[in-house]
Order: sequence, then C-alpha cells, then structure tokens
Amino acid sequence: MAHVSIPSYWKTLPQRYCLIGMKCKNCGTINFPAREICISCKQKSEFEPKKLSGRGKIYSYTVIAAGSAPPEFSEQEKLAGSFPVAIVELEEGLRICAQITDYEEEDLKIEAEVEAVFRKIYEEDKVIRYGLKFRPVKKRKSLP
Amino acid sequence: MTLQKVAIIGVGQTRFGNIIDKKAEELFAEAFLEAVNDVDKGIDISEIQEVYIGNSGVGGGQLGNFSSLMTDYVGLTGASALRIENACASSGFAMRAAILAVSSGVCDVALAGGEEKMNDTPRNRVRYWLGISGDMEWERLSGMTFAGVFALMAIRHMHEYGTKREHLAMVSVKNHKNGASNPKAHLQRETTLERALASPMIAYPLTLFDCCPISDGASAVIVCKADLAKKYTDTPVYVAGHGGSTDRLSVFQRDDVTSINSSVVAAKRAYKMASVKPEDIDVAEVHDCFTIAEIIAYEDLGFCPKGKGGKLLEEGQTEIGGKIPVNPSGGLKSKGHPVGATGTGQIYEIVNQLRGSVEKKNRQVSGAEIGLTHNTGGSGGTTVVHILKR
Amino acid sequence: MSIGILGYGVYIPQYRINKAEYVKAWGRFAAAGIEEKAVPGFDEDSVTMAVEASMNALDHAKVDASKLNAIYFASTSSPYAEKLVSSTIAMALGAPPRVSVADFTSSTMAGTSALLLSLDFVASGRGHFALIVASDCPYADPGDFLEHPLGAGAAAFVVGEGTPIATIEGSGCTTIEALGERFRKHGEKFIETLGIPAYTQAVIMNTVTSSVKALLNSTGRKPSDFNFVVLPQFDGRLPSGIARKIGFEETQFVPSMIVSQVGDAGAASPLIGLAKVLDEAKPGHKVLVTSYGAGASSDAVSINVNEEIMKRKGAVSSVKDYLADKKYIDYIYYLKIKKMI
Ligand SMILES: [Zn+2]
Repeated sequence: MAHVSIPSYWKTLPQRYCLIGMKCKNCGTINFPAREICISCKQKSEFEPKKLSGRGKIYSYTVIAAGSAPPEFSEQEKLAGSFPVAIVELEEGLRICAQITDYEEEDLKIEAEVEAVFRKIYEEDKVIRYGLKFRPVKKRKSLP
Repeated sequence: MTLQKVAIIGVGQTRFGNIIDKKAEELFAEAFLEAVNDVDKGIDISEIQEVYIGNSGVGGGQLGNFSSLMTDYVGLTGASALRIENACASSGFAMRAAILAVSSGVCDVALAGGEEKMNDTPRNRVRYWLGISGDMEWERLSGMTFAGVFALMAIRHMHEYGTKREHLAMVSVKNHKNGASNPKAHLQRETTLERALASPMIAYPLTLFDCCPISDGASAVIVCKADLAKKYTDTPVYVAGHGGSTDRLSVFQRDDVTSINSSVVAAKRAYKMASVKPEDIDVAEVHDCFTIAEIIAYEDLGFCPKGKGGKLLEEGQTEIGGKIPVNPSGGLKSKGHPVGATGTGQIYEIVNQLRGSVEKKNRQVSGAEIGLTHNTGGSGGTTVVHILKR
Repeated sequence: MSIGILGYGVYIPQYRINKAEYVKAWGRFAAAGIEEKAVPGFDEDSVTMAVEASMNALDHAKVDASKLNAIYFASTSSPYAEKLVSSTIAMALGAPPRVSVADFTSSTMAGTSALLLSLDFVASGRGHFALIVASDCPYADPGDFLEHPLGAGAAAFVVGEGTPIATIEGSGCTTIEALGERFRKHGEKFIETLGIPAYTQAVIMNTVTSSVKALLNSTGRKPSDFNFVVLPQFDGRLPSGIARKIGFEETQFVPSMIVSQVGDAGAASPLIGLAKVLDEAKPGHKVLVTSYGAGASSDAVSINVNEEIMKRKGAVSSVKDYLADKKYIDYIYYLKIKKMI
C-alpha cells in the first residue's frame, strides 16, 4: 500500500521535517509545499528556501473518530483512538494541514496558538515516516 | 463550426445500495438497458457512436480499458469509449464529454454513464479508496479523511456564519424524507433531527447522519443532436448550459474553505451559457456527499447569499414545495453515492422531474421547467454543473 | 575563546505512570525509589525526543543548527538497529549536509561517551560546534520485573568554541569484562538480566567507584570538592550505595536525582541528571558526572561551572519545568502506547 512513495516522500523531507517554504523571487509569496509555478503570481519563478517559524493558530480543525481513519493510521487509531487534524495558519500567513498532538479537549478551537513539533506520523513497509504535528503552545520560556 | 444544441432522449439508473449479486458490467448493463428502453420511440444501439463512462475505480478491478469491458458487455463494441475519472464527479464530467461530442458535431448520438461497486471491497480498503481523491501528500498523510476535509469546512462555516449542527442535521432530515419515497434510493427511510444529531461522530462536527452512504450503482444517459430528438422521443429534455471547473486540490491551500470555488465557477459558466439566473432554477440535484456540502452548494450556486445557507433551510425553501427544491431524489445522503455513477444519476432525476414522470407524486416538483445538477469531485478539486430545460 | 559546554536542554515526555498502577497490575512495583516514570506518547520515540531536547540546547547555547559540525546521538533504543538516526535529527534541526554524525548505541553509557568524544572532536580542530543528544526509552518484557523502572527522556549538549557555561576539567574511565547483568541480543526487542542482583550491584559499584577514583587521581580532587555529583540512576537506591562507598554526602548527589520522577532513562539519565544540577548550579561550582554501561564500563567527568551560566538561566524550559508538565496514564494505556500488547 504505497500511497505516497518513499522517493516522493523523501523529496519533500525539508518541508516535512523542518518547514522549509519556498519564497518566490518574483512576488515574494512563500509557496508551501514547493511548486514550480508560483501559487500567487502564477509565474515560472525562481524560489529561495525560507525556514518557517512553526508558530501559528488553528484556522479550522476536526477530530477523526476512531474507526474512520485512513488505513495508514489504523495503528495510531488503535493506540490513541480518535485524533484531531487541523488547518494551521502560520505566522508567515500561509496554511498547512497537520495533526494536533499532546492536546486537551479545550485546546481545540479556532485561533488557538500552536507550535510545530517533530513526531512519528506513520509507518509503512516497516519504514518510519517522521514529520511535523502541532501542539498547543505551552508557557515555554523564551529569551528576553 | 457552429455548436449543435443537445437533447437528452433516454435515462436509466439502477437502484443505489448494497448490490452484491451484480458485477460491475451487469450493473452498468441494467442502467444502460433502462436508458435505451426509456427512448420511447426506440433507438438502435448501433447509432451510439461515442461512449463516456464515469468510474472512480474504487477497489481496483478492471482499471485499465474499463470502457472496453463495459461497451463489450452491452453490445457497443466498435463505439469510441472512454473511462472518465474525476472522483465523485466522474459521470458528471462523462455527461459533459458526451454533450461536447454531440455539440461539436463529431457524432449524432452519444452515451454518458457511470458505474461504481463499493460494497464488495473490504472495509479497510474502501477507506483507502475513499481518501485518494483529496490531496494525498499533505492532507491524507496527516491522517485526514474525506469526511474530515468537509468537517474542516463545516467548523469554519460555523465560525464565520453561525451555522449550527442543527442546520447540518436539517439537510439530513430533508434528504431522508425525499429519499424515503424514492424506490431507487439506498436509504429509503426518514429520520429525525434528534436522531441525526445523536448519531455517532465520524469527523467532528459531522456525524454518521451527515455522511452519505457507501453505495453500488450505475446510471446512463443517451444524448443526441437537438434537431434529431423528436425522432426518438416526444419528451426530450434539452441541455441549456453546462460548465466545469477545478479548484486547488488541497483544501488547506484554498483562500476560503467555506466555499468551493470550482462550484462557483462551473455554475457561473453554466448560467451564462443557459442565459438563466439562480432564481430561475425550479429544481436542483446538488452534491451533498456531506450535509455541509449541500449548505455550501446553496451559497456557491447562488440560491442564497453567502453564509445564509442555514437560514434557507430554516425557511424550508429547499424542500419540495419550497422556493428552490434541492435533492428531491434524496441526494447523495439518502439516494446513495456510488461515486462514479452519481453525476449521471443526478441527470436521471432532473430529467424525470422536468418530464413530470417521477414515480411518486409526493416527490414530484410540480411544473418544473428548468433544472440544475451539481456534481463535485472529492473535496472540490473538480465540479461540473448542468442546466436542463423542458 | 575556550572549549566547553555552550548550552544544554532536555525533553521529558508528558505522560507519566505511577507506582500504584503497577501495584494494581502486578501486586508490587519492583523499582526501588521510583514514584512515577515518564512515558513517550504514541507518536514519540528516542528520535523525536532527541529533536526536542536538541532544539532546547541550541536555543540555550544560542548556536544556530546551520553552524553544527557534528551531531552525535546516544541511545539504547534507536528505532533502527541499522540506519542512522543522527541523520534524521540533523535534518529536523536544519543542520548543514557537511555535518559529521554518529549513532552511539547499545550502552547506557553512550551519553557520556558521546559527550567526551564531541569535546575531542572540537579540541582536535575538526569542527567548531558539536551537538550531542542522549535520548532513550529502554524496553523490557512487561512480565519481567526489569521492566518496572524503565522510563524515558532526553538531554542535549552543545559543545564548542566560545564562552562556555561549563568546562570539562578531566575524566576517568574504568572498563572490565562483565557478563549477564543487563543485555539485549541482536534482533531482540527487550533487555534481559540473569537476575543475580548481588552480582549486578557489585559490578556496577566496583566499576563506577573505580572510574571516579581514576578521575580523582588524575585531577587531584577529593570527593568533597564537588558541589554536585550525578550517579547512575537505574533505580532510586543505587546512588546512595555508591555514594556511601566513595564518600559522597546526600547533599551532593540528591539534587541530581531524577529517577524517582522519570524512571531509568537509559543513556539519557546521566545527562538529564547533569542538566538538572546545571539548572541549579552557580559559577565556581564543580560537578561530577558518572555513567555506567553494562558489559561493563563507567565514565567519570569533572565539570567546572562558569560565570556565563548566569546569563543563560531560564532561557529554555528546565528539567523542573518538564517534571511539572505531566499527564497520568493507566497501565493498560501504558502497555498500548509502548506497543507491548
Ligand atoms: Zn510569485
């Protein structure tokens, strides 16, 4: 059941592991995932990698109920039951789709602040596919 | 080259539901033969020169040369044939392809149809196939499901427009009521608001009663040049307009997830071609794979202003007898959703509505002259709209 | 400019299982001095924990991942018996492709091995900055009492040239051949022991005592010179035994104790213990860190705390912060997420 092949997955690792967006040199729009024709100016443009902060807010969300997850996630479903998936709007303005982890029920709301976290996404053909999820921003200390 | 006007002369559809005792080609043959018999003055099937069959390939099977399997089984060998895949909008686009073939002058008579068998596949594999029509790389690989992406739209619609879970349930209740008197519907039973709201959660806020069933079925439509229509039937239905469009595959990349832009654009094109306005539509079959999709369709098709879909339901305007009856067949929710067969199944319903030939009078929208079908692929990656006239 | 520890960070997963859950399931909790222990979530493993600890360490050290010349990963529970995971960590952190990596596995001593070798890496001039991360969640058969103390956690250290928060004064090592105390055969998932506690204890005590003596000899220090001492924490009782034998006071080793709340975090334990005392240490303090790996060997490392540490206090989440952020689970869920049923 190779849905997204390893070579295809591998090609997107910079995006999946550390949120590298591609900034259009023509119009400045960050394309994520990477593209050849810019989503904004629709030009065949040059792009430069831009690391995204990984901080953002929940734009919309759902909770996939136990028993209805895609087969790649049936293992997770067995372990964790239902799980939330959200569209997250990053500080940089673009949106991405990812699971929410280490959450409490009350963390699931539009506008809730979340941060990217590196986690196991699923396993296929014995190969672990790592990637990013988001979790509610805890009161983490930051430099003054 | 001037475009030919196109008429529908025969329609057929199997019952939608769990149909274990028929193979794919047998299902298709049933719908096809019904469409042929529906041509009241008769048609020689050798007159059909172009064939377009919608099929999304659920479960695998004869994915290669599917169209040859179908034409072979129904005695259409020799006709040019195509399997059309646009997820849930496959046969809607097959219909449009048949219309284009006739209107371009390439042929006089063409067949559009669709077929899907979903209930002969193990549950886990159906879940696999259901999820292949949205964005695989990012949405699917974050554990997202088909219901899940519509749930994202629902949550946002609720947030921005105050739509409530009760509104979603009202779609379910209405469509179940219509489907209860449709002998070809998958779920021929009514439900209540309380039951719909209390049914098990599938993808918050969507419950089981917000989701269409997994159905088997087939449908078929025979079209011809409009000026030949009276040769075949006394009750042709004319294609007044049609439009197709695409939206960004991944929902998370769309500027607005409370609207499906492919619907907006496809509808605009169809309205323009037909020279009609949303308020001219007497009856519509819209793509309610999930209840929120029907509410969004009201808004995208212009039946009400943006964000007022819930209000339209509260007023009962989309019930039979309302200002704009929607899904008198029961829609995908109750009539069923055999993915590849849904689009031409909608045409089947609207043709019967316009002819006044719906089997049960309580389902007949009286005096309907202009009808619309709206068929969306996956989470809105593709949409096709047809406008039909008596 | 001198070479030393520029920053550090830890990660402890939020799930905890407490003693009572084990007592309910097994009638007893065979882990002396452990009240509760940390458990990785269903989507966590030694690699993901390593990434979190590393990010904290880089933030703390104010070193950008793009500057790293080496990344060493230390664990007994790498998800792959063969396939680098330091490469996974490197990419997740955004390290450059020229980074030199190594996975230190198969010993609970791997954390200090990697720390010492990373200092050699920088001192030899091979590179300016190295990150070492010890991250571990050891596995044993749930039917085996050996499983009871096993916890989880990660600690990362950035070493390199700059103004270190702490510098290494010296180290000592003792290696002997020992058999059957704690091992995992090739292809096996669970650690095992022949279950001769007196023998296991004697081997650990002798080896650790010997490495500490080696360090004291080479540095000319005496046990009372150290403000903090980090001793092997396979359970909560072992450190006091070792301390008694060498002559350390409770006030020296108790501040480093994390096992009662984290459990035995394998290769990560000595470095989480070090992180905990660095959280509390003041300039001029001396810290002694020891590790033990079955088979057997022990490292003893003497560390001087510098003025710079005051500027970095509170820059990232501390051990205490992580210990306070917790969510209790029951034994059935514990078995489920550790994939043991
Ligand atoms: Zn651009």
